Order: sequence, then C-alpha cells, then structure tokens
Amino acid sequence: MSNLENNEKILKIFSNIRCLNRDQLPRYLDGRLTDVEKHLVEQHLVDCDLCFDALQVLQQQQYREKYQPLSASMLQYIRNSIKQVSHAHKAERYQRQEQKKESFLIYFWVVAAIAAGAGLIYLIQQQEKFKSPVTKAMASNTEIPPTAVDAPPVQAAVVTPVRAERADTLSHRPAPATAATTAPVAPPAATPAPAVPKPVVKDSLKAKTPAAAPVNKDSAKKQAPPATKPAEVKETVKAPAPEHKDTPTVAKKTEDKPEPKPVPKEKKDDDDDKPKPKPATESAPSGTDEFLYKAAMVYHQQGDLNEAISRYKHLSGSSGRYGELSRYQLAVCYRSKGQTGKARRMFKEVVRMNGSMKDKAQAALDNL
Amino acid sequence: MLQQLTNLSDKELISRARKLKDQEAEGVLMERYSHLMVAVCLPYLNNGPATSPEEIYPSLLQRLSDSLKTQTIPKANEWIHYTIRAQQAHADKNSPFFPSTESREQQQVEAKLEKAATNQKEQQQLIAAIERTLDKLPAEEKYLLKEFYMNNKSFAELAEAKKISIEKLRQTLQQAKQKMASLLMNETYE
Repeated sequence: MSNLENNEKILKIFSNIRCLNRDQLPRYLDGRLTDVEKHLVEQHLVDCDLCFDALQVLQQQQYREKYQPLSASMLQYIRNSIKQVSHAHKAERYQRQEQKKESFLIYFWVVAAIAAGAGLIYLIQQQEKFKSPVTKAMASNTEIPPTAVDAPPVQAAVVTPVRAERADTLSHRPAPATAATTAPVAPPAATPAPAVPKPVVKDSLKAKTPAAAPVNKDSAKKQAPPATKPAEVKETVKAPAPEHKDTPTVAKKTEDKPEPKPVPKEKKDDDDDKPKPKPATESAPSGTDEFLYKAAMVYHQQGDLNEAISRYKHLSGSSGRYGELSRYQLAVCYRSKGQTGKARRMFKEVVRMNGSMKDKAQAALDNL
Repeated sequence: MLQQLTNLSDKELISRARKLKDQEAEGVLMERYSHLMVAVCLPYLNNGPATSPEEIYPSLLQRLSDSLKTQTIPKANEWIHYTIRAQQAHADKNSPFFPSTESREQQQVEAKLEKAATNQKEQQQLIAAIERTLDKLPAEEKYLLKEFYMNNKSFAELAEAKKISIEKLRQTLQQAKQKMASLLMNETYE
C-alpha cells in the first residue's frame, strides 16, 4: 500500500504547478502557508526561476518595503492600459462590424437590383411575346373588316349628339363641336322634313304658276315618283352600306338609313332644281371624317384619352373642318392628360390654321 | 469578461492574445505575473540611466507584449524570466526566447503525465518508467528527490539535514529532475 502511494507520489516530480500568486508570495516569505501549500510552492520553485528569483529578492527587507506599493501601481497601470486598449479595441471591432454590415447591405441591394432588373426584362420579353400575336390579330382584324371598327363609331355617332348637348356644361366640348354634332341630327330630322319642304316648294311653284289643283296634283304626282326614287336610291345606297358595315345590327341599319337619305334626297331636290337652302352639306370624305370624329369624341367622353388621342391624331391629318376640330380636341386631350407642352403646340397649330376654332384655341392657350 | 479571462490558463490567454488580438487577455496574463516582475526587477531599480520604476516596468511590459506576438511560449514564467534577464542585460531586443532542451524535455514528460492522468494502465507504465530512471540517478540526487517528493520534506529541512544552502538544494533538485526528464525522453526514443 505504501509502495503504491509512493508510486503515485513519484508522479509529483513531473506535475506542473502554477506560479505563486499575488497572495502566496508574501505569505510564503512570512511562513504563513500550510504544510501542503508550502510543499506545493516548493515543488514549483524547483522548476521556476522567476518565482525563486522573486523570493530571493523579497527576502531582503529593503526590497520588501518597496514591493507592495510598486506591485499595486503596476497592477493599476496594467488595468488602465487594458481598459484603454479594450475600449479602442471594442470601438474598432464595432466599426468593423458596421462596415461588414454595410458592405453586406450593399451586396444585398446590388443583388436585389440585378434580380429586379432581370425580372423586369423577363416580364417585358414575356409581354412582348404575348403582345405580338395579339397585336397581329388585332391588326388583321382591322385590316379585314375595317368597318367592324367603324361600326361602333356609327353607333356612337348617333348617340353622341344627345350626349354632347348634355356635355356642353362640362366645357370639355367647345360650342362649335356641339354645333357640328348637332348638325348630324338635322339630316335625320330632315327625313320627315322633305315632305314638308316639298309642299312649300310646291307652294312656291304655285306662286310661280298659279295653276289649279291638277297641277298641284301633277306636282303631287310628280312628287310621288321622287318619293319612290329616294327609296330606290336608298336601296342603292343601302347596297353598298351593308358591304361597308358587316356587323351592324338591324337596328343600326335602320339608324343608318336616315343618314344617307338626306344626301340623295338633296340630290333629288337638286335634280328638281329647287332653290332650297341646303343644310350645311359636306363632301363625301368629310362624312367619314365626321363619323371618325364622333367616334373619337365618344372615346374622349368615356375617358379613354389614349384611344381618343390616337383617333384624333388619325383625323388631324385630314384637311378641312374636322382636321381642325380634331386637332383642337387633341389639344384638349393632351391638356387633360397633363401634357401641357403637347397641348400648347396643338393649340398653336389650331390657331395657325386660322379656322373657326381659332378664338377658342387662343383662349385655351392663354389659359394654359 | 475580465473575470472570465482570469480563469483561463496561460496557454489559452496567450493564444487569445495572439489569434484574436485580444488585448484584454494579454493584460490579464501580464497582471498574473506582474507581482513577480516587480519583485524580480527590484534590485535593478534606480541603478543607472532609465531605471526608474516609471520607465523600467512600462518598457518591460512593452517588450513582453511585442515578443508575445511573435514567439512560441510553452511556459509563460520561463518566457517572462528570460525577457527580464534580457532587459536587465540590455541585450538586443531581437534575441528571441527559446526554451532550453532540458526545459523542453521536462515539458514533454509533464505533458505525458497529464495525458496519462485518466488512463490507469498508462499511468502505471509511466510510474514504472520514472522509477527505473530514478534508480539510474546518483544516490545523492535520488535521496534528495525521494525525501522532497515522497516524504514531503521542505527546502529548509532538507538543506539543514544536508548542510547546504536552500539555493544549492534547489539547484540540485532541479538538475536531478532535468536529468530524469532527459533520461525518460531518451528511453522512449531507444
């Protein structure tokens, strides 16, 4: 047993023991350590030159006195330098961390921006893919039955006048426009009129030739054929009309009929060489312009400014009254869209055209 | 933080100071040995130019701090002792600290012992090896070692019994230990 203990004790020769601490040093010198502690210190002293030297020095009384204050001030010095250094260190570390964070953020945003850009490009490409067939289809639609597009305008043309009159209060629509739009109402209204003016004319005829009733009758008879003639003309006019308007419903046809009527009737009247004050007739092209213009107006009133603008633009190329009107409306559209520059340019153009809209355009320009 | 660092070993503090550039760890290490530094330097204070305590200690600390970053330090006490000696001798600052062969052998034996601490069989083998080397030592040294380590005799008692000074006794013990360490290490290489 003792041998075993001895065996274990032999290991002490090579066991590593820490240096004397601040507390042990003076106590060892004073002999105030327990036997076990003292033995441990001495085991360490065998190896440690530093501790042994320190003890050798401190055994001399003169150094012993100096030791305590110096040791305390040394400790303080080290602690102070640690504090300073550690503060600086912490600040530096914090700064580094912040920099890292910042750079990470920058990387993040760069990546995000790239991703967003890629996404946008992808979307645009997708949209273009989608769009191209659709637009093609639309283009073909417009090419094949151009009337299909024109059809609503016609419908609209019938609708607009009423609306336009109401919309007058909105001041969107200048007075001349309403005049122009009300004008179309006149021809349909004229359909029943022919019956009225004709008698009047007959009266004038009567005045010219104070003939008896038979003449009147004759004229009445004469009148009869013209009445049928228009019907024929109607048919002839109608014949191309359906070709022109494939889609319109029957109702529309009925609505359309009155419109072509006046012209033939007027022609008939011309044939009858009656000095009749014709209701502001326009040439054939201006008629289509009128439809187009009214269609554009409908879009304009419905608030579809872009469509209206494109239609007005289309129209603005044409010469004459509707060219000017559409230019004016185009300017109005631009103004309501907030594109004052374009609006001003348009108004100026209208002013330059020196037409009926000049004053209005000038007023609008002044207000802009 | 400071409290946690004081519980770390020298080795850990040194590695922290070096790898993490942890100035606090360095400070704690210096603090741990500051009283010994103060004591060892006492005889050299006010001995000549630039030897006032206000100059000598900060410069010593600076020197230690510089060398801490570049040198391998197996034992902090040896390194500090060496640095103090070098400063006192006004030696060239660049002469690096290297542990002596004896010290290294001793460290290796200590490391072996630590490793075997949890393994009963290895420990027994090590004990047998130490006993064999102890028998190889001269009778005088063997006696001193046995008395000191096995019988827990103090320096004073042994010095008195042998009629030698404590310094001489310590030197003899140190040499005997180093001899044993080198014998043990060489035995393993044979």
